[in-house]
Amino acid sequence: MQNPGTGTRSGGSLAVSCEELSFSYPGAGQAALSKVSFELCPGEYVGVVGPNGGGKSTLVRLLNGLLRPDSGLVRVSDHDPATEPFEVRKHLGVLFQNPENGLVAPFVEDDVAFGLENLGVPRDEMRDRVAQAIRAVGLEGYERREPHTLSGGEKQRVALAGLLAVEPEVLILDEPTSMLDAAGRREVLERLEALRAEKSVLHVTHHLDELLNADRILVLNGGELVADETPGRVLSDPELLRENRLVLPVVPRLALALGLPANLKTPEQLAEAILTRTGSETRTG
Amino acid sequence: MNLELRDVHHVYAAGTPFAVEALRGVSLGVEPGEVLGIIGGTGSGKSTLVRHMNLLLVPSSGGVLVDSVDATTLKKSELRRRVGLVFQFPEAALFAPSVEEDVAFAPSRLGLDEEEVEERVRESLRVLGAEDLATRSPFALSGGEKRRVAIAGVLAMGPEVLILDEPTAGLDPATRERLLALIRHLRDAGISVVIVSHDLDEVAEVADRVCALHDGRVRAIGTPAEVFYGNPELAPATVRVASLLKASRPELGDPVRFDETLAALKALPGK
Repeated sequence: MQNPGTGTRSGGSLAVSCEELSFSYPGAGQAALSKVSFELCPGEYVGVVGPNGGGKSTLVRLLNGLLRPDSGLVRVSDHDPATEPFEVRKHLGVLFQNPENGLVAPFVEDDVAFGLENLGVPRDEMRDRVAQAIRAVGLEGYERREPHTLSGGEKQRVALAGLLAVEPEVLILDEPTSMLDAAGRREVLERLEALRAEKSVLHVTHHLDELLNADRILVLNGGELVADETPGRVLSDPELLRENRLVLPVVPRLALALGLPANLKTPEQLAEAILTRTGSETRTG
Repeated sequence: MNLELRDVHHVYAAGTPFAVEALRGVSLGVEPGEVLGIIGGTGSGKSTLVRHMNLLLVPSSGGVLVDSVDATTLKKSELRRRVGLVFQFPEAALFAPSVEEDVAFAPSRLGLDEEEVEERVRESLRVLGAEDLATRSPFALSGGEKRRVAIAGVLAMGPEVLILDEPTAGLDPATRERLLALIRHLRDAGISVVIVSHDLDEVAEVADRVCALHDGRVRAIGTPAEVFYGNPELAPATVRVASLLKASRPELGDPVRFDETLAALKALPGK
């Protein structure tokens, strides 16, 4: 990834590209994905939203090679997941919804090393990469903890460290916070935010508030890509939101209903905007 | 029914070096026809607590009472019919070739006649807006559809108390709204609903009372306004906005639900 000669940072190479990608499950009347085309450029952070059944999970499975497209093209760092799954798994890490399902080893550091063991990485290098990955998710001192004694947020960070140790260029986050409480969610989102500069990220979620800082948001509905827009445009398009069963987070929803801008993100920002407005209007009145 | 937990303690792996005290004396009542929200961080004891409500877990000490009768003296199958528990990710337990067979599985073991079972399956699928899925394979459904079918299977047992453990995790916002509407509908039909959730905004919308757990103990219990305004660090976004404004705008009151909060904010002078 550091060497432009290897291709991943050279001009023409994309982190992910899909062209006219289609897939139907056996026996289903409707296609799960229908002619979906998009690109994820190196270093981009792109959100994926849409209703249940819209095609989000199918897209993730096509990208990591668990499913094979009926037609169209999918590439991850120039490799075809269906025919080169082992190559793709070096370039792509997937963080799943429920951290309980992915942790296997007796100690945190063994769990983080698991992916590297399967790749046959030499022991000294493995040690370095595991230590670095544990640092990247802020779990120094947890190396000898048993995963089952950790909180949900900590477990999800262990799972993330396991992905980072493999040093993929592309990360897919498949609803990584939906099993976490508010504190765990914040922890994981902060770590993901810190990785932005180094990784290309596709973040699948039902929480629009996790995507306020994304470069773009893809909206999948009924298997079709119905929008590929900036967060600002998605949040301020009530029709797009309604048609795709998206709901604004509470704070921007309150703000809009009060005639204030939807880009107020925190309760503090909203409270201040309300005070400013009511305060000044009271004085002039 | 009245369901009551009295000073319930629970120790996992008791008597071994791995013993963990997950509940440390929880007392709590579920009243007929109320929605009780149970909140608390990961590991606070929420799932352990609700598993005592139908004696899936037996207290290490303390008691569970159903209409003032010790629940351990009741027939277990009867208790579990009356107190229905929907686990996290219940769709993992779907198994039958069609949705209607899956929903019929438990009620068909209650000794009801075939017509009554069919009627219950139809009715619970209808309540969950899943009647058009009846003949589909549960494995070819979307995540939201599977979740609704799994809940229908518990509802078809005709429970008096329905416990939902993180029922909306992984659901899209529209499906979540629909599930919350269903919870209100069940409450209005006289069923008590216990909802375990880490989504405070959701609990704020639907709960009549809230119980906050911390470290295996009840940290606060009461109306949503009492619990959330008394513990701002546990509060949903609506209450956090109102709390920030209350010092200078006491006339806001204690709004909790989105609509209440919006109305209170709109009523502020100077608008």
